[in-house]
Amino acid sequence: MKRRNFIKQLGTASTLTVVGGLTLPSFIGKQQRHITILHTNDTHSHIESFDPNHYKYANKGGVAKRATLIEQIRKENENTLLLDAGDIFQGTPYFNYFGGELEFKLMSMLKYDVATIGNHDFDNSIEGLYKQLPNANFDFVSANYDFKNTVLDTHVKPYRIIFKDGIKIGVFGLGIELEGLVNKKMYKETGYLDPVEITQDITTKLKEEEQCDLIICLSHLGYYYKNNPDKISDLNLAKITKNIDLIIGGHTHTFLPKPTIVKNIVGKNTLVNQVGAYGINLGRVDFYFDEHNHKTSTGTTILV
Amino acid sequence: MKLSYLLILFLAIGSCQKTEKHLSKITAKNIAIDRTIASSEKIDRVINPYKEKLTVEMEQVLCFSPTEIVKSDGNLQSSLGNLMADMCYEMGNSIYKEKTNEAIDFVMFNHGGIRANMPAGAITTEHAFELMPFENELVVTSLSGTKILELVDYFVQNKKAHPLSKNIELTLKENGYALKINGKAFDKNKTYAVLTSDYLQGGGDSMNFFKNPKKLTKLDYKLRDAIIDYFKKTDTLKAHIDNRIIIK
Repeated sequence: MKRRNFIKQLGTASTLTVVGGLTLPSFIGKQQRHITILHTNDTHSHIESFDPNHYKYANKGGVAKRATLIEQIRKENENTLLLDAGDIFQGTPYFNYFGGELEFKLMSMLKYDVATIGNHDFDNSIEGLYKQLPNANFDFVSANYDFKNTVLDTHVKPYRIIFKDGIKIGVFGLGIELEGLVNKKMYKETGYLDPVEITQDITTKLKEEEQCDLIICLSHLGYYYKNNPDKISDLNLAKITKNIDLIIGGHTHTFLPKPTIVKNIVGKNTLVNQVGAYGINLGRVDFYFDEHNHKTSTGTTILV
Repeated sequence: MKLSYLLILFLAIGSCQKTEKHLSKITAKNIAIDRTIASSEKIDRVINPYKEKLTVEMEQVLCFSPTEIVKSDGNLQSSLGNLMADMCYEMGNSIYKEKTNEAIDFVMFNHGGIRANMPAGAITTEHAFELMPFENELVVTSLSGTKILELVDYFVQNKKAHPLSKNIELTLKENGYALKINGKAFDKNKTYAVLTSDYLQGGGDSMNFFKNPKKLTKLDYKLRDAIIDYFKKTDTLKAHIDNRIIIK
């Protein structure tokens, strides 16, 4: 194909994409793309809202209410991803009696895209988690759990790449060290790899090879350990790595009013967010991309 | 035809990436899910059959409590902590005896592990779940006399009403303490079988004296199941502050 013809056809294709309903006003010049990330963590089998008499969380949470909220946001922006940072299981009798079946079914109805695995997701053993996978119409990612010698082998990928509105989004998962936290007979031969080293490898791959526009880490490492400040945590991970735009955390049940902005190892901003536990809050982060034909990148405005 | 269109589209997207996609703005907020948001009926319809089954299970009355049993009514002990330790002693001891032909000397848990008070009146399965929502299992650790001394030091310095079973009589004096286990003075050269949870045995709540015991026996019995089984075989719960801890 001659170059001129190619360019001509390219123009046709782009016109088609506009007709096809993508929100691109034009292929030439400045355009804005908008990705909405919604997220939960440590929902802990909280299917229903808290009791009206609950001392702390009266009437809060509830999957049916979460569904309404998510639907409203999807109407605002169809380019929405829904993510979870682990500990879906354990905390109400729904888990004890139905083994996580309802949790996964409802998350599938809410159209979750990706989740990572928390320590409590092993509470019915690794087989118990495996058994519920058919109820999950979404993917699990974990880059530092090695499932090679377990039933989860090939069922959990280190990362997933998703295209939304022409934006390439890489989502990878990190889990907390299970030894000492979970009975070995539950997690069996699950291997634990150093989350920092894995993050360095994966983010390089996602940024340089895959050329992702947005890199998100689903982490169950915990936000920060005041009494053990050197322990690997989301804040520490953000500081000593690069290329991560957003860390969605869990495990420590940290109720952040808004994401924390952390300077990474090359001085760029990484957002760390966590929305407590039990489905009481929904995290929302909106990313806006401008497109230029020339390289005049100005900074990124962060309004949190 | 369709294939070539896809190919062109693919190339088009590919060439798009050569222009700069610049992340210009990020906004964020964490949204509370509260009563101002309506429930999705579609979701509720899926939940309801599960909820109905669960309600039948949870409302099952297991026993009766003449008074409220709480975790904060004593000095370094509580009526609920005492009940929890004594229930698990009774339920765990028979399993341990079957497994090893030996008896448990005493039970220790952590105060933070008591997750709810028990109300006066009918005690249901739901109350057992509230008291012990976690899946912790019972384990028996064989501890040397030195480890028992560490255990008592922890208890004294931690100043919390960590549940201890009725087998213990610990007298705290101004300087020092006296310890009796099953009516006999503590013997530093003896090995004691102490029942606890797998969580605490693994070093939970910094109870490090449970780590690396001489022998570890797993009972394959959940703490909550021990509570439920005890409630089921008991008509009326009795729980008191007593002389297991004496402060002079």
